[in-house]
Amino acid sequence: MRRLRRLRGWALRFLDSRFLALLRKEVQEILRDRQLIKLLLIPPTIQLLVYGFALNPDVRFLPLGVVDHARVSASRELVSALTENRVFLEAARPRSERALAGMVERGALTAGLVIPPEFRRDLAAGRSAEVQVFIDGVDANTAGLANGYIQQILRRFRPEGSLTTARPPPVSAAVTFLYNPGLTSSWFFVPGVMGVVLTLIASLVSAVALVREKDTGTLEQLLMTPASAWEILLAKIVPLFVLLQVDVALALVLGRTVFGLPFRGHLPLFLLLSGLYLFVGIGIGTLLATVCRSQQQVLLTAFFINLPLVQTSGAIAPIESMPAFFQAISLLNPLRHYITIIRGMQLKGVGLEALWPHVLALTLMALALMAFSVSRFRTQLS
Amino acid sequence: MNSRIRAQCIKELLQFRRDRLTLGLAFLLPLLSLLILGFAIRLETKHIPVVVQDLDRSPLSRSYTDRLFATNQFQPSRWQGDDPVEALDRGEARAAVIIPPDFSRRLKAGKTASIQVLVDGTDANNARVIRNSLQATTEFFLRDRGLVDATQPVLARTRLWFNPGRKESLYIVPGVYAVVLWIFPSLLAAIAMVREKEKRTILQVYASGIGAGELLLGKAMAYLLVGGAMALVVMGLGSLIFHVGFAGDPTPLLVGTAAYLASAVSFGLLLGVRSASQNAAVQGVSLIGFLTALLLSGFIYPVSNIPFPLSLVSAVVPARYFILISRDAYVRGTGWPGVALDVLVVMVSAVVLFAAACRSLGPMQLDDGAGR
Repeated sequence: MRRLRRLRGWALRFLDSRFLALLRKEVQEILRDRQLIKLLLIPPTIQLLVYGFALNPDVRFLPLGVVDHARVSASRELVSALTENRVFLEAARPRSERALAGMVERGALTAGLVIPPEFRRDLAAGRSAEVQVFIDGVDANTAGLANGYIQQILRRFRPEGSLTTARPPPVSAAVTFLYNPGLTSSWFFVPGVMGVVLTLIASLVSAVALVREKDTGTLEQLLMTPASAWEILLAKIVPLFVLLQVDVALALVLGRTVFGLPFRGHLPLFLLLSGLYLFVGIGIGTLLATVCRSQQQVLLTAFFINLPLVQTSGAIAPIESMPAFFQAISLLNPLRHYITIIRGMQLKGVGLEALWPHVLALTLMALALMAFSVSRFRTQLS
Repeated sequence: MNSRIRAQCIKELLQFRRDRLTLGLAFLLPLLSLLILGFAIRLETKHIPVVVQDLDRSPLSRSYTDRLFATNQFQPSRWQGDDPVEALDRGEARAAVIIPPDFSRRLKAGKTASIQVLVDGTDANNARVIRNSLQATTEFFLRDRGLVDATQPVLARTRLWFNPGRKESLYIVPGVYAVVLWIFPSLLAAIAMVREKEKRTILQVYASGIGAGELLLGKAMAYLLVGGAMALVVMGLGSLIFHVGFAGDPTPLLVGTAAYLASAVSFGLLLGVRSASQNAAVQGVSLIGFLTALLLSGFIYPVSNIPFPLSLVSAVVPARYFILISRDAYVRGTGWPGVALDVLVVMVSAVVLFAAACRSLGPMQLDDGAGR
């Protein structure tokens, strides 16, 4: 009974507290701010959709040009062997090698195949017949894959009635793709962009909210009240935190409904870790706000922080492909750790047992950022 | 040149020079972007961590493992435990190769031995690369050991054009120029335009005799000059740092860059005219700029992979055409015959965007004719 009374006492004191009054003020301000609500909903949606659809590394229907000087059934078989798995599409049959070379040079064709006149003679004699392949190497990634496919197809190619009959190979490598069996590219990009969007929005929204008070001079008024720096900051952060969690949910729902992205992990844990990351984002924003004097400055200075943060996070290009120096730097990038957590939980369905190093890193960064920006905020205010 | 336009241009340049933040935005940030994008965006992974679970432990299976790690493509990943999937779960390995206990026995008996390969499919592009090279390694192993007939009926003599070493920087760096030279000039122009509105100095401009076209042209000239300096710095340093030199006639790039900068500046002015506040302008330019120049331009993956409704948007993105011009100048080297059309498209985009900016500003003047 006494405990209940004490609890009620606390609750009443809380309801009556300065903190709650500040909180109420912030919530009202946010609800009035149409611009903010739009900012929280529209850019993330557009970014998720465009990244998910536009970035597609599929190697399919690469235009292939063929100059067939042999014109026999074996050469036709070769062309159909190259095009049957839809990696290549026979797009042109130029008259001469020179015309073919010109088309590859201009980029109209990705690959060119020249079958020489002696193709049939060589095959009939049981010798290896040689064909010429040109590949447009400008796009190094596509060129590498295209070259790999051509070599692989030719190794297995056995024209009908040839002396060496195709036998099943003595070793077969049965490849299984884990986590993403259909190799859907959006399953890689959408979780990455989710992290990017949260970073951009969280840092910007919190920085703007703080700097606006500074800009309009209402911060001085707040300081005249007996509220402490912590209370002022926390009252600002809590409603933003709730709103940003809406963005997390938005990203999850969009990923699921539009891109069919599975969620294989533990959802409450994921929301908790996203909350942790939001603190990092808000911490970056608070830091920005302490450096800048106006909203314009915030927006422009944010570029200097967000651009490196996003580009070394592995959201678009995998971290493992980066040079060693950038890989080392990226360990200090909170977004990198968060994206690893998102991909791990969404696609792999792993939990803390596999992700704890990243969670630890995020916790340390959140604490450091918050402590640093609060202390700077406080010294600036006094 | 009309003296009012020149005055506007000089005023704008003076204002630009005074602001340290915009100066940083114009020169420091483009360089930073060049370095980060140029170094960090690599699509193909080398030294892919792979775990091998050799249940056979025979000389044959060991030589297969050695073959696997003979190139720099794969590297063994340390791993304890008995389930290789755990190493993939933790992200310590990208692929697991499991050699069955009867591997050498079946091979010697002339039967097919099946190796199980598990590939982390999260990154679809590298998953494909891993599969292809694992299969190639397996075939190489078989030939090397004389387990299959080494004669192949058809051999390919392959030539990779323009980029025989498949250096990815040759593909990425010319694209970075397109991204950087779109985003930052347009950002600067948009800020300059909207600042005039926000600080109400636009009213003084209206009160003066200058027309909408003249005002915009003056600002455009100023930022075209800034953009030109930016292009010189970025492309100059880019060539030095990444060893990317001209492959052919550089004049299409020269003309194309001027037109592209004009297009970017006009785009910035258009957004500046249409936005109510600097915040909205910066948000708008950076969102649209990054989405179009980075994602819909073919900077990372081929534009032909962009699906239908988005492909229409991609078709009108100037960066897409400038990337073709830039890659031609630095890698392909076909010169005017190859890219004349692309240069034309970029020019048209500059004219269209500038006209749109003029139209948007035009009606804002109270009485267009009064001043003349």
